[in-house]
Amino acid sequence: MFKRIITFFVLVLFVMSIFSCGQVKKESGIKIAMVTDVGGINDQSFNQSAWEGLKRAEKEFALSVSYLESTQDADYAPHMETLLDAGNNLIWGIGFKMGDTIKEKALGNPDQKYAIIDYAYGEETPANVVGVVFKEQEPSFLVGYIAGKMTTTNKVGFVGGMKFPLIEKFEYGFKAGVKLANPDAEVLAQYADSFTDAAKGKAIANQMYENGADIVYHAAGGVGDGVIEAAKEQDKFAIGVDRDQNSLAPEHVITSAMKRVDNAIFNVAALLVKGEFPGGTTVVYGLKEGGVGIAPTSYKLVPADILEEVEELKAKVISGEIVVPSTPDTFAEWTM
Amino acid sequence: MKLTLKELRKKLYIFATEKTIGFTLISIFLGLVVGAIFLAAAGFNPFQAYGIILRGIFSKPSYISYTIVRATPLILTGLSIAFAFKTGLFNIGAEGQYIIGAVVATAAGYFLHLPLLIHIPVVIISAVLAAGIWGGLAGYFKAKFGVHEVISTIMLNWIALYFQNFLIYTKGFQKPGGETSHSIQPTANMMILKTWKQSEAGREWLLQHPFWKDLLRTPMNWGFLIAVLMAVLVWFILNKTALGYRLRAVGFNKFAAEYGGINVNKNMIISMFIAGGLAGLAGALQVVGVSHKVTLIAAMEGYGFDGIAVALIANSSALGCILAGLLFGALKYGGAKIQPFMQAPSEVINIVIGSIVFFIAIPKLIKVILTRKNKKGGIK
Amino acid sequence: MIETILNNLALILGTTLMYSTPLIYTSLGGVLSENSGVINIGLEGMMVIGAFIGAAIGYYVGNPWIAFIGAGIAGGLFGLLHAFACVTFGANQVVSGIAINFLGAGIALFLSRMFFEGATMTKSIPLDNKMPRPLNGVFPDGSFLNIIFDNQYATVYLAFFMVLLIWFFMYKTKYGLRLRSVGEHPTAADTLGINVMRIRYFAVIMSGVFAGFGGAAMSLAIVSNFRPTLISGHGFIALAAMIFGKWKPQGALLACLLFGGAQGLAVFLGQFDFEISSQLISMLPYVITIVVLIGFVGKSAAPSADGIPYEKESKY
Repeated sequence: MFKRIITFFVLVLFVMSIFSCGQVKKESGIKIAMVTDVGGINDQSFNQSAWEGLKRAEKEFALSVSYLESTQDADYAPHMETLLDAGNNLIWGIGFKMGDTIKEKALGNPDQKYAIIDYAYGEETPANVVGVVFKEQEPSFLVGYIAGKMTTTNKVGFVGGMKFPLIEKFEYGFKAGVKLANPDAEVLAQYADSFTDAAKGKAIANQMYENGADIVYHAAGGVGDGVIEAAKEQDKFAIGVDRDQNSLAPEHVITSAMKRVDNAIFNVAALLVKGEFPGGTTVVYGLKEGGVGIAPTSYKLVPADILEEVEELKAKVISGEIVVPSTPDTFAEWTM
Repeated sequence: MKLTLKELRKKLYIFATEKTIGFTLISIFLGLVVGAIFLAAAGFNPFQAYGIILRGIFSKPSYISYTIVRATPLILTGLSIAFAFKTGLFNIGAEGQYIIGAVVATAAGYFLHLPLLIHIPVVIISAVLAAGIWGGLAGYFKAKFGVHEVISTIMLNWIALYFQNFLIYTKGFQKPGGETSHSIQPTANMMILKTWKQSEAGREWLLQHPFWKDLLRTPMNWGFLIAVLMAVLVWFILNKTALGYRLRAVGFNKFAAEYGGINVNKNMIISMFIAGGLAGLAGALQVVGVSHKVTLIAAMEGYGFDGIAVALIANSSALGCILAGLLFGALKYGGAKIQPFMQAPSEVINIVIGSIVFFIAIPKLIKVILTRKNKKGGIK
Repeated sequence: MIETILNNLALILGTTLMYSTPLIYTSLGGVLSENSGVINIGLEGMMVIGAFIGAAIGYYVGNPWIAFIGAGIAGGLFGLLHAFACVTFGANQVVSGIAINFLGAGIALFLSRMFFEGATMTKSIPLDNKMPRPLNGVFPDGSFLNIIFDNQYATVYLAFFMVLLIWFFMYKTKYGLRLRSVGEHPTAADTLGINVMRIRYFAVIMSGVFAGFGGAAMSLAIVSNFRPTLISGHGFIALAAMIFGKWKPQGALLACLLFGGAQGLAVFLGQFDFEISSQLISMLPYVITIVVLIGFVGKSAAPSADGIPYEKESKY
């Protein structure tokens, strides 16, 4: 008897659900979707930036866009399949962690287009995949130059989230910039082994400021909130990352090394709409391509003459005259 | 077969109060109602949302398969916690034991070169032993030094997290230029037809056979069967063996057990060893069946914490963990889909899960509601 | 040389105070709840909601104290929910606590989207509208005391005061005695005419209030905004500290300070280019905690009725 009651409940729910789902798919236009990595859509970093790029593309090209958030690494593959079944024209994986998954899915579904942020397959890029990587070292280099010029103590700091190649690009680009601007300056570098522990970020930054640094650059996600807070309290300077973080402390975040994931996503969407999807290639976004840069609010705290020098430096990087180091090895060569 | 309202209430009351499963189902239903209220408050059609979730779980064989894959580690971490509960211990450490299981499985899977049929068991057994020792450590601290297992397991979780990262950074284990370990050898793989699926010929064939393609695109593996077997085994150990009797006696009343000649300390260590091994098995199966490697982690992934909820929904019953794990896996897997299909914020799923667990916690509330109605209906 | 050592010591002490403050509030919450006989494993979820409400009110109202109290009320509401389940309906307290962890996180993010234009990160609060820093600029620049106290917020000192207050309440007032007796022998307390239900309600709600304070001590002092990862595991660490401190306010304080101190040490050691992995250094606080427990603390026993629902005969 009760089984019938429960069955009845479930049936009602089921039937109502099915009836109310007719209008899920939009009728016209191209569909693009993205899978976030475990940082989630509001990470104040590349996932959020990616989504902003997609939303911009949605308006501009009348697309239909959506995203799926991952909470564990094991989510990537199923999420890719969900978006595949939803009939998306292009599926983005946001973050290098999805590198293997995207490749596997792309090979298994040769008619589906995929793209990934922060991952390059090089020669082995499948014909239906675009890899997008950024030269994070280049904006880091520019903000490093600003830091080297603006430091009055000849000491600046770098706080990293976790030590792996992607974050090291920030570190060594920054160090190179500081050295170029001010060969005498010392760079204190420390990793927090976390992307979330704001208190630890603050403690590390406090320590750096106490040890004489007056500008600290972070590439550490939520840990960076603590770094910026320390700058605020001690009335020192901080440099933001990924997005323009000036709003977090308008008088203390002098500039930010921006990684325009949104631009990259938007551009690829534009190409897709035109039917020129660059499948099988790796797109590199550096200063030259406008994929990275320093924050537009930099003029508020950075003296104009330094910004002019930065512009010159930027031109040199764009022309290829300067190749910014991004690894311990290239940095060692660079300083020699 | 006429059914009056009065009878319905009466039946519901009996259903909710006399059968655990009935009560659990009603809790799930109420949890969904609360989720629906939140969805509606935010301007989303709850029926549409639940429809998406249901179809996202059942409408394709591959979705069902993904749900099962998602549920497998949760069943095992749930079992781990349920087992510890039965023996009077609260194992918050399943998270760390899972991590140890995963990283040891990866190391054994990568460094050892063994024939096909031997490699997988060796990998799994070494992972289970390592995680068992990791769990047993908490039992040992408690038995020997009186350290409460809740503290030691919370600390051991974080130690395990940094330990995994430490190992990944080790030269020879780290994939050069990457943030992951090397992948395990093909002989340690347990994903069904993995090599064939990823071969040229396999891909060609699958493209021509959509049904199989759909089914085989998931990381289908034997993990779920192992998890079910473990649930049966745990049930058997707890209920049908002398060891299980002793463990439960310790859990039921430590002092009485001691008086009855049971070595409480030894049994605590054994219990935590088994609990750790179960959670470690979850990690090992995830590696050999799904991920094939471990990645640097900046924060807990939540297998252990979700396992607590699974164990609680299952009322610490070993066999219940299978169902609760499946439910939890389904909600997490299917629930994520309401975002792309109707732009509803995914945290609603957390609210739904939280509400379900909350109603599970208060069987009496449901009884009270139904009793009051019953009184009006003239029963009693 | 000596100056360097002193400076570093001061830095470690400063970090200790900063790190342990949110934990102190939260573990005090745990102390209150568990001494009345109700396990509160939902501290994490209560902290999350407190951190969010604190940051949100702080941003919109601009007064840190209103924000702080608001965070306490928000935490208290979740405490009420927990009490409702555990005290009135004799719920399994662990289950209800786990539920609160899910609900706290879910509802905080949900509300954030409603009040911050769809974002789950709140907008930053200017320094002037954050908690005051009472000893800011009091000591000479660069001095030992200055390094420790210059940038410590009022929440830090208030936390110590709260420990004193709770200690006094628990051990020197009749209400504290009642609270503890309810946690030890509810039946006996009941026969003496103590209203077990009411006292447990009070204790559990207050535990939510304190956990809410703990969350706000993060979002209104350590940083100036809320983001979903701001509270990640703090509630559980506070729970561990409370047990570590043998369910006593003063013990919990020491445990939190120990943990904060170990973090300070990890940050201090992290600045050097050691041959050993920074992962091992980051592991230190957790290892130290276990070592101290094994070596110096010994057995701990919960209040004897902790976790057991109390009900009078034939209530339903």
